[in-house]
Amino acid sequence: MVGGFNAYFSNIFEVASTVFEGMAVTFSHFVRKPTTIQYPDRMAIRVQDTLPYRYRGILEVDLEICTGCLACERACPIDCIVIDAKKDKSTKKMMLNRFDIDIAKCMYCGLCSEPCPTGSIHHTPEFEGADFSLESMMRRFVKQPVAAYKPKKVEDDPEVAPILERGMRYLDEFADPAGKTGTDS
Amino acid sequence: MSIAGFEVEVDRGRGLETEEMTLNMGPQHPSTHGVLRFVVKADGEIMRRAIPDVGYLHRSIEKISEKVGYHGFMPYTDRVDYVAAMFCNQGWGMVTEKLADIEVPKRGEYCRVIAAELNRISSHLLSVGTMILDIGAITPFFHAFREREKINDLLEELCGARLTYNYMRIGGVAWDLPPGYEEKVLAFLSQFDRMLEEYDDLVTSNKLFRARCSGVAAISPADAAAYNLVGPNLRACGVRYDVRRDEPYSVYPELEFDVPVGTGSAGAVGDSFDRYLVRILEIKESIKILRQCFQQIPDGPVVAKVPRKLKPPAGDVQIRVESARGDMSWYAVSDGSEFPYRCKVRTGSFAAMGMIEELSKGLMLADLVTVIASLDIVAPEVDR
Repeated sequence: MVGGFNAYFSNIFEVASTVFEGMAVTFSHFVRKPTTIQYPDRMAIRVQDTLPYRYRGILEVDLEICTGCLACERACPIDCIVIDAKKDKSTKKMMLNRFDIDIAKCMYCGLCSEPCPTGSIHHTPEFEGADFSLESMMRRFVKQPVAAYKPKKVEDDPEVAPILERGMRYLDEFADPAGKTGTDS
Repeated sequence: MSIAGFEVEVDRGRGLETEEMTLNMGPQHPSTHGVLRFVVKADGEIMRRAIPDVGYLHRSIEKISEKVGYHGFMPYTDRVDYVAAMFCNQGWGMVTEKLADIEVPKRGEYCRVIAAELNRISSHLLSVGTMILDIGAITPFFHAFREREKINDLLEELCGARLTYNYMRIGGVAWDLPPGYEEKVLAFLSQFDRMLEEYDDLVTSNKLFRARCSGVAAISPADAAAYNLVGPNLRACGVRYDVRRDEPYSVYPELEFDVPVGTGSAGAVGDSFDRYLVRILEIKESIKILRQCFQQIPDGPVVAKVPRKLKPPAGDVQIRVESARGDMSWYAVSDGSEFPYRCKVRTGSFAAMGMIEELSKGLMLADLVTVIASLDIVAPEVDR
């Protein structure tokens, strides 16, 4: 019977000590820096600004540099991009009549932004896309038909040049497999 | 017979009759992590049978492959097993490369292994964290998820998403490692080593946790082979089998790592505690692999030149990837067109799911939760 008593009390002792071991780890966290962040309203900077450069958020299109090549529409595996680009007979210019992206369908895979020749279609770090209706999830970029961008050797239009520069930088840093330097996150 | 003034009549003729109960566990049960249903035949608290009812999360991913083509299917493979999506990416990449005879550049392979091993750590952390949560301890779960969050941050920087990575492409990976990535991962790993020690103090050496898991649902190697158990579940039974070592793919032959197996340190070989411990040991092996990868990674391109409209020659191939949940096998048939004719995935969770009915016989109802958690079943991977 003595052995039984010993085992009984040593069991209690071991369990109590194992609980205290665990509690020691837990209590040590009272003096450590917290790792939680108070999203969304008590942040020093917006979450969107802390995200890495490659972050795939809601898609954005710069129509000024869109060439109407339909590469993104073909690459999209769920057909959430719809583009209507036609050649105007009278002016002989490629006209963009429609450029819609259904954000409700989009799965943010990034396959569309890779083949884009100018970096027109790109991901933004925005991710808060909740809305009350499916219709408002449809992003219509073409308000009225515009002429598609025609690539030139040197871009001299002061309005388009900075947008194109941003687009090409996006392609270099984001979609280029050689992996040139991205912005620091 | 009178109790406190009440007259109670007791029928002494037939005695108390017991009857088998049929209980439903799930589909919406907090410990099943996903939509998973069990029909439990129980005698009081003892289970006679627990019949898994699969199919709630079927999304016909294999059928979708026949409609979207080889490149377009890559983001869908993320959804096969959303906890360890890198392995599904890698599986689809490898099967298509074998079909179309594409060679991946060396740096691309190393990028793949780095991403996959980071993902393995995060998947195992989720697995052991939620296992302990299901058993009844909540603190270690937060510790595991804190580290997992850091890995998610690293993977987010690498490929732009935290869960559905879509990082790999046919012929390599989408993007090279970002600048300063090596330092960030190594800094994380050195800090993670300390966290693992703390985790061991908190859980692995905890007597209550050992007592709860020891001997629960022990699997013999013969049973494991009969039910086709794979991955950490198989290794916990003492079988030293790892696809990375026994049927090497990618750059794994150039890397040195051990294959941990269960030793029965808490009770029987192949019990729930062994399955937990094998995962913890595998995390340590993954850290070893990651450190070697950063030493050995060569310069060069990360992706081979692959036509946008990929048309592999007709034929069928099968490859295997050691996923976080074990041997994941990918089978694809091409008929020479730009869409796969057929694609089939076989995953580790499915095999583990088939074993539950056998394992649950004679266990307590509360142990079913331990069995599900220790087998690391991810519901969407079962149904696809």
